[in-house]
Amino acid sequence: MASHREDWAIAAPGLLLLLLAFLVPVGSILALGVRTEGGEFTPAYVIRFLTEPYYLGISWRTIKLSVVITLVCALVGFPFAYIMARVGPRLRLWLVILITLPLMTSVVVRTFGWMVLLGRGGLVPDIMRSLGLVRRNYTLMHTEVAIVVGMVQILFPFMVLSILGVILRMDPRLEEAARVMGCTFLQSVRRVVLPVATPGIVAGSLLVFTLSASYFITPSLLGGARLPVLAGSIYETATRTQDWPFAAAQSLILFTAVLLLLFPYIRLTRKAGG
Amino acid sequence: MVEAVPTGVRAAAVIFMLLVLAFVLGPLVVVAGVSFTAGDYVTFPPEGLSLRWYRAVLSADVYTHSAITSLRLAALVTLAATVIGTGVAVALHRRRIPGTGFLSALVLSPLVLPTIVFALGLLMLWSSVVGRTSFYSLWLGHTVIAVPYVIRTTLAVLATSDPFLEEAARTMGAGPWRTLFHVTLPQCLPGIAAGGFFAFNISFDEAILSLFLRSPDIMTLPIQIYTQLEFSPDPSIAAASALMIALTIFLIVAIDRLLGIQRVAA
Repeated sequence: MASHREDWAIAAPGLLLLLLAFLVPVGSILALGVRTEGGEFTPAYVIRFLTEPYYLGISWRTIKLSVVITLVCALVGFPFAYIMARVGPRLRLWLVILITLPLMTSVVVRTFGWMVLLGRGGLVPDIMRSLGLVRRNYTLMHTEVAIVVGMVQILFPFMVLSILGVILRMDPRLEEAARVMGCTFLQSVRRVVLPVATPGIVAGSLLVFTLSASYFITPSLLGGARLPVLAGSIYETATRTQDWPFAAAQSLILFTAVLLLLFPYIRLTRKAGG
Repeated sequence: MVEAVPTGVRAAAVIFMLLVLAFVLGPLVVVAGVSFTAGDYVTFPPEGLSLRWYRAVLSADVYTHSAITSLRLAALVTLAATVIGTGVAVALHRRRIPGTGFLSALVLSPLVLPTIVFALGLLMLWSSVVGRTSFYSLWLGHTVIAVPYVIRTTLAVLATSDPFLEEAARTMGAGPWRTLFHVTLPQCLPGIAAGGFFAFNISFDEAILSLFLRSPDIMTLPIQIYTQLEFSPDPSIAAASALMIALTIFLIVAIDRLLGIQRVAA
């Protein structure tokens, strides 16, 4: 072990940073959620969150929106990733750059774009009006649709990249074999590609679900104060009402849910990667 | 011979890709479009073309001050994250310290765990240990979430490096530190640089930690934009946003040139 002292030395700053500036703060906020002022264990804050109708509504909305966002990402992401896998490498590179660009742009900038597009007098309501779908002065802002639209744009690349990785590793001769044996093109996609891609779809879905449950800037700007989600509620509780233990209890619930979903995600990506 | 892909499917695929790309890039195009408006309001398509809102942004103290704060912060985060992240990546790659698998899951965890929980925890801990939040609390918070990116890009480069070079250096008599600085680190450079650009981008664009850890005298550019969005959006926000998008595009191109975006994205 002594001969590897330099390995410890170069890793130490990072490990210390992670311990003191990440694990300790996260751990202490989680602990705060289940402690009385005297330091004894109490589930009171968690129970309050899980029983008050207002907060139950927030949980339900968070889960519902995350499910819808994940489904949309998967439904659009699978064909997108499949096509990406089948185009030439240069075009594929461009597509990767184009879909990661929004991901690398600041969340406030992207959300601002949607506010312009979806708001009163914006392009989308205008088009809907000219199609006769809605009346004048219609706005999509402050609706759950706006939240889904804004979140799908951000989380879509996670889904695509996670599926793309799996499809690219697949032997293309499998598809050829299926076609030669008499499958139509769509049959071969459904019977051969889809089963191969399933681990990627599941891993991508778990990732998208957890991320969409923990974002709050896009939902709070596009959804407004009347459509709070869990992460937004944590922010409000911490900054407006300054009820720290209650904000901590909500963090604990979010954190536990995310962790439960991440374990299968890590196992899946390990298998796919190894 | 069967037809590879039916023509109908091929055409549908092209339309589908174009629609999705329009959806994904639409908001960014809209922001850029609004920024060139000659009118007084946020409208898309813009009313006439002018650079007046760029002039307005570049001469407004609220924007220039917050932009300078953000640039300074991002530069310091990049410095700290590359130094710290490279060390961890090299140590993890060598797999000589026990529990490497566990440690790598641990050091990458800030990527997937909810940032909001971390932000709240750091705010609480900082308030009780140090006191008022400041530029340094932002530096610390941003560095924690930027380090995993450096680790990932550096590990990606090390994975394709020649493992025998280190051994060769050692057998030829170089000490561990000389080997590190003259053999290992030069090999990692593209990964470190790409990680540095990521770190810069993460810090420059970050809003969640900044919202929690901000103090009245520390305003970053994203927070400035966020506050404006909550009150009264005018086209100057679009101009500031468009400048941020331009910086992001520059950073992506830089990362791609250094490392190939596909290797770090997937």
